[in-house]
Amino acid sequence: MSQKGFTLWFTGLSGAGKTTLARLVEKELKQRGHKVEVLDGDIVRTNLSKGLGFSKEDRDTNIRRIGFVCDLLARNDVVAIAAAISPYREIRDEIRRITTAPFIEAYVECPLDVLVERDVKGLYKRALAGEIKNFTGVDDPYEAPGSPEVLVNSSTETPEDSAGKIINRLVELRLVQAALEAALSEDEDSVVRARLEALGYV
Amino acid sequence: MGLFDRFKSKAAKRAVIIGLDGTPYTLVRRFIEDGTMPRLAELAGRGSLLQMDTSVPDISSVAWTSFMTGANPGRHGIYGFLDLQPNSYKIFFPNSKHIRSATLWDAVGKTGKRSVVINVPSTYPAQPLNGTLIAGFVAVDINKATYPQELVPELKRRDYRIDVDARRVQESHDALMDEILTTLDRRIKTLLWLYDSQQWDLYIGVVTETDRLQHFFMDAIFDEQHKYYSAFKDFYSKVDRFVGEIASRLRDETMILMSDHGFTKIEQQVYLNRWLVEHGFLKLKENARSIEDIAAGSLAFALDPGRIYINTKERFPDGIVDKADSSKILAEIKVGMSEITAGGASIVKRLYERDELFAGDCIDSAPDLCIQSVYGYDLKGAVNKTQLMDREVFTGMHTQDDSTCFINASADEIREGKPHITDIAPTVLAAMGIEQPPGMDGRSLFRNSGN
Repeated sequence: MSQKGFTLWFTGLSGAGKTTLARLVEKELKQRGHKVEVLDGDIVRTNLSKGLGFSKEDRDTNIRRIGFVCDLLARNDVVAIAAAISPYREIRDEIRRITTAPFIEAYVECPLDVLVERDVKGLYKRALAGEIKNFTGVDDPYEAPGSPEVLVNSSTETPEDSAGKIINRLVELRLVQAALEAALSEDEDSVVRARLEALGYV
Repeated sequence: MGLFDRFKSKAAKRAVIIGLDGTPYTLVRRFIEDGTMPRLAELAGRGSLLQMDTSVPDISSVAWTSFMTGANPGRHGIYGFLDLQPNSYKIFFPNSKHIRSATLWDAVGKTGKRSVVINVPSTYPAQPLNGTLIAGFVAVDINKATYPQELVPELKRRDYRIDVDARRVQESHDALMDEILTTLDRRIKTLLWLYDSQQWDLYIGVVTETDRLQHFFMDAIFDEQHKYYSAFKDFYSKVDRFVGEIASRLRDETMILMSDHGFTKIEQQVYLNRWLVEHGFLKLKENARSIEDIAAGSLAFALDPGRIYINTKERFPDGIVDKADSSKILAEIKVGMSEITAGGASIVKRLYERDELFAGDCIDSAPDLCIQSVYGYDLKGAVNKTQLMDREVFTGMHTQDDSTCFINASADEIREGKPHITDIAPTVLAAMGIEQPPGMDGRSLFRNSGN
């Protein structure tokens, strides 16, 4: 079966778990036969968007570039996964409007106090100390999506739970096929077989 | 009421679909004429009763999926009750999660309208919708068959049965008939209860017992001396009373009564894999039970009912046929199978190559060839047979060109051309004033509709 491309766009505060989830979803989709590319915000800023800063204008340019590449990939039947803070709603909605392939927004929610506590990259500490300026959630705004296709919460869910939730939503949206093995349990399978046998279909 | 309001109310009507699984158009005509189905006769007098084509293959999983999506299997991806996993001979049973097209009730739900969908085959496990759904064949667990879950206790209290247990035929035909009648009674009670108690804009209720009756008792209705002749007619009288119950509830809804395929008597079951073995196309391991036991060196194999697959290198793990040779093998099989005869006549009505039947994103999992037999010769995919033809416990087989389609609209409102099962969804959307979404292959039966 040919697989269709789409853009899966993770948005959320720094450290919320966008990259972790992008990689988990990538792995699962590859196992189901999809071609997948992840555009990670941190990595993109070292090449595609090298030299851009964190002003609103630069942030918007960064997101437009990621959105552009995602759409190029998606319309060639690749699943393009973007993992970037993308704090401004307007620009995310612009990407949604102009992309030609389906655009799925996944909001990775996590309360700021949990993130400060977690502070995996040590950035919140520095931002709160004033060493980093324009840090989203500290002295730069974050505009949460109004109605994302899928909402996960990394303070209450395990990464595996969240990834599972995202995959299920993609199945619901008919962008991804249900796992063949997991669709019915073995017991159910044998009942189905018996019923079909009784009518001569197996 | 002004002209505009009249138009508006007409264009945005509610709709009712009653499905009678496997009920042939010709049988309905006969029962209307001989007085077995007086209520349906009365209803038919107020609308158009038509003969309809269904999908190829003409089995319920494919046909009902084509009904609910308005699409061909090349789009929706369901080609049979069983299929093979990608790049494998391993069998799996497709379910609702494998359907790759949106459904009629998805389109209705998008406009904020509610659907009640009861006992449509191939909807298991139940998927969320704006409304209520109880999955039909092959649903296993009532909890997974029902959306929303809150309905389950009441269904249990009412002893709702998802399906006839056809294995009761091993006990006796009397036991099976009793099973069919009991299940029908409970089905009808539940169908009417939900019709009356739920809020809906689109109601779909399917009776499956018609199909089960006909699989095991089809010979009875062609023989007045048959032990079950009157039981068969009594069964359809019950169905007629149910149709009457629905008809009496109609206000200004558009009503469609339809079947997913027809039925006829079986003369012989024909085992296509046996033919492929005998003619050197297929090699099986010893004591093979299913196509999973295919042996090395095979050129082609069959899956139920008449699906033929060329064992190509690019598609199957032990494939031996080069892509370039595929059409040659296909041609040999077409010629050879056309020459399968019984009583001096070919049992094959038509052979369709893949692209004659299917188009869409799921084309890669389509069979390479679909064979349609003449009435009486039921094509099967069994691999454990030692002769080409035989009789089994079944006395009825499906037909592709004799489905039932009644719509409560006069002949001059209906367009030319024989209806196809994929036309039902666009017709219902047109009646409800909803635009037909892209991805539906059928077209509305109404002469004047956008769809």
